[in-house]
Amino acid sequence: MKKKLKAILHYLDVTKASIRMSALTIVEYPSSIIGWLISNPIQFIVGFATIQFVVQQFGQINGWNYGELAFLYGVSVISHALSMIFFIQGWFMGFFVMEGEFDRFLTRPMSVMYQFFFTQINVFGVTDLIPGIIVFVYGCIQISFTWTFARVLLVLCMLIGATLIRGGVYIMLGTTSFFTRSENDFGQYTQEVFDKTTMYPISMYPEAIQFILTYIIPIGWVSFYPVSSLLGGYSNGPMKYAALFTLLIGIAVMAVAGLFFKSGLRKYESAGN
Amino acid sequence: MKDRLGKYIFVYRNQILKSFTYKFKVYGNILTQTIIMIASAFFWKALYRGTDSVMGVSVETMLTYTVVSSMISILLMTNVERRIQNSVRKGTIAVDMMRPMNVFRGYLAEDLGNMTALIFQNLIPILIIGTIFIGFPAPASVGDFFLFLASLILAYIINWVMAALFGMLAFSIVELDALIQVKKHLIRLLSGSIIPIWFMPLWFKNILECLPFVYLYQMPLNIYVGQYTTESLIKGLSIQMAWAVALLLIYAWRQKSIGKKLMVQGG
Repeated sequence: MKKKLKAILHYLDVTKASIRMSALTIVEYPSSIIGWLISNPIQFIVGFATIQFVVQQFGQINGWNYGELAFLYGVSVISHALSMIFFIQGWFMGFFVMEGEFDRFLTRPMSVMYQFFFTQINVFGVTDLIPGIIVFVYGCIQISFTWTFARVLLVLCMLIGATLIRGGVYIMLGTTSFFTRSENDFGQYTQEVFDKTTMYPISMYPEAIQFILTYIIPIGWVSFYPVSSLLGGYSNGPMKYAALFTLLIGIAVMAVAGLFFKSGLRKYESAGN
Repeated sequence: MKDRLGKYIFVYRNQILKSFTYKFKVYGNILTQTIIMIASAFFWKALYRGTDSVMGVSVETMLTYTVVSSMISILLMTNVERRIQNSVRKGTIAVDMMRPMNVFRGYLAEDLGNMTALIFQNLIPILIIGTIFIGFPAPASVGDFFLFLASLILAYIINWVMAALFGMLAFSIVELDALIQVKKHLIRLLSGSIIPIWFMPLWFKNILECLPFVYLYQMPLNIYVGQYTTESLIKGLSIQMAWAVALLLIYAWRQKSIGKKLMVQGG
């Protein structure tokens, strides 16, 4: 027990040091961070302006009004930003496999998965987080969302779960590189899919797509279901607490991704790299 | 004349062959384009639920608009920014400049080669996918189709020259990646590629009509779906032409000044 505790403390120590190191890279490349600080918010503000113009003209999208869409969009962008901060490595796994970079992690006495994701935290992801929070707060004001203690907890569950779902999907896609041994970069495609399925209500898609997004690739749980429930879309039944399901599904997706990653890593070792 | 063009045609053909070697990238692009196109189609269908036409535009028009817009976005893919940036960063620009050809025209030949390959690799698949899932995007009339092609050529010129000018910034700014993203997102919103400017507030629409971006997507698309009057057509095409000429002039000037600057640095 004491040994376990010590191990956990050690991991926390390393995480702290890594975050500090990552933060220092901002100082190292100031022009780069300024560039992303301008470009990432523009991306999301542009996306949001698009929704605004259309909703002004048409009144609603599938029964969702402007404020509700802002709320949904905000949740989508915030969870995107968090997944970028912690799990962006998943996008570049192909590159790491091809370059034999995992050798370095394998020689160290810590979990490879932990090292891969948490010793290189992407501080630049903060540039996505800021516009996300702005749109989210704006949406809350538009629909006069009342904050109760329970709701704060539900929102937190939703954001953690959503980040885990996204991260799990990135890891699973990245892990395929262990088997294909190619430098496939899935980043752009996953981003496109997540954008189209988490920023708008998925109820606008045909039933078949909705089914896939609910049960097979659980992207619907990133934003659509928990936000619908927070906005009072489900008057009773367990779906009233859909945010809790998001958290559970997030943990499950991450667990599966972790197992898949482990099996992929075994493949890497046996390649005798 | 033939000799002068010959070397560019060589670059062009080489690039086509090169483009056909990257399989994964091709499938990935088709996938991305398909997702964007199909999602937009459902987006419009959801918006139009319960109404036949909004501001004189029917849902069928919007679906055609979506498919053709995806196809234009394939034709307007350029690599010149990254090409210049990489050559400047690695210093190979000096070697490129020593070649017996104008370096920027060489890049244009490469981009045209890429485009030719993309017509087979992406444009035709997207047209087929669009026809199956959304419907065949028929032009408003045969005449409109030819007018559309003319406007599309102007759009290509505007797009390529803007990209080249942008890439030339690499001579003064080292870190272009973020700026390239900014440009991409601005074009997405301001060109009418996703949301036609018909649906935008009037003040915003008026500003956009003065900027070059709407002449990349909106103008050719207006013609394709037949959403224009004779007056708006003449006005639009003249502004489009004016932008093409203006950008070409800036391009010629920039190219000259860059040639001088490099010579000074190279001793």
